[in-house]
Amino acid sequence: MFIMIKMSLKIYKKLDLTGQSCAGPLGELSGVLEEISPGEAVEAVLGDEATKKDVVAWATKKGYKIVQERRDGNNYVVVLTK
Amino acid sequence: MKRVIVVGGGIAGTIVANRIARTIPEELEKGEAEVVVLDKSDKHVYQPGQLLVPFNVQDPVELVRNERDILDHRVRFLHGQKGEVTKIDPANHTVVTADGVSHTYDYLIIATGSHLRWEEVPGYKDAVYSPWDFDSALKLREALDQFSGGTVVINVAKLPHKCPVAPMEATLMLDDMLRKKGLRDKTEIVYTYPINGIFGIKTTNDVMIKIFQERGIKVISPFNVTNVDPKNKVMESQEGEKVKFDLAIGVPPHVGAKVIGDSGIGDKRNWVPTDKFTLRMKDHSNVFVIGDTTDIPISKAGSTADFESYIIANNVANEIRGTGLKKTYDGSVFCYIATGVDSATYIRFNYANPPVPPPPSYVHWWGKLMYNKLYWTVTAKAIV
Repeated sequence: MFIMIKMSLKIYKKLDLTGQSCAGPLGELSGVLEEISPGEAVEAVLGDEATKKDVVAWATKKGYKIVQERRDGNNYVVVLTK
Repeated sequence: MKRVIVVGGGIAGTIVANRIARTIPEELEKGEAEVVVLDKSDKHVYQPGQLLVPFNVQDPVELVRNERDILDHRVRFLHGQKGEVTKIDPANHTVVTADGVSHTYDYLIIATGSHLRWEEVPGYKDAVYSPWDFDSALKLREALDQFSGGTVVINVAKLPHKCPVAPMEATLMLDDMLRKKGLRDKTEIVYTYPINGIFGIKTTNDVMIKIFQERGIKVISPFNVTNVDPKNKVMESQEGEKVKFDLAIGVPPHVGAKVIGDSGIGDKRNWVPTDKFTLRMKDHSNVFVIGDTTDIPISKAGSTADFESYIIANNVANEIRGTGLKKTYDGSVFCYIATGVDSATYIRFNYANPPVPPPPSYVHWWGKLMYNKLYWTVTAKAIV
């Protein structure tokens, strides 16, 4: 289940949030991020730049750290941790 | 002989077992395959109907039936200790039941559902009524019958939860019911939600929040509840809000089944890692996961399970028959949304297409009631 990132952070879960979901990207992320332990991170795949900006703004306000932002084809990938 | 085991006889497990039985009737009758449903309980509860109980729209007696009566006659059903699964072991293609028997399978379908973890929020169980719990839905009906005005808070403790539109429905049915009783002027309704707005999908949120505004419903979001004081009737949030209430209606935190955690096959909330298109458990190609049990970012709803059952039933049948055909799930969901006790709208969407609810009408309310009534004879039996 785990893969290593930067030799010190484990990806607890990859969340493909490119599709429609009733909880929405922030709702799905909020539930998962509350569960992670120190040294773990969540990788979120987002389908558009506006959603990526929403996620980054929301996470920053909630006090989560953005470990990585990158493009993956048409998608945007954000890695978050506590 | 190919054995298909379905763990869980709720909405998802029942529909998929019946759909497989209807898809491969000859193989079942010839003894070339068998479908077995395992569940501790021999009763089947239609949980979506619980939402209507507190508003005197639904008779709770109609929500419970014998599981055996709903399952196709070609499906084997084990319950009690014989059906209570204590361990799922995908590496060895077995499940173990409480009577100590180890059952091997060729294909496994995990349909163990979502469950309430009230204790995650201190005070919640003592202070908050929830239609997500059968007994609490009955108590809420009594409380609403006696309600004479005050502040009602509607709360969603955590996302995701089953029936994602239901908190909005409860709010709007409450508003309508209180208007019809002449109590709306004496009542403040406060809707609290963990993320901004009242619903996670923007296109739906934008339509529904206008209805909330027209009805004079106060929204506090984001609001992530941390504790509830049952004595003083105060709900507090991470954001520092304190809401005093006379009556609280809420959605407790949800988790996957205990057996998922005990078997070490889920994430930290016991959701099972699942491919969003194939609905196969990650790293186990002969294990499918359906309904609330998955960790897919999709709605935990009966209609989701129904849509998913077509994919799983066809793929299991295709593999048994060796046709090589494969179907994939497109994220389809359909949910009616009650906007009162005689009006409704709906959302229909998939991964690629967001939903925009049409204007509320009596026709959609009628559709919602019919959908519930037809569950027993059509949906659960996988007739269509």
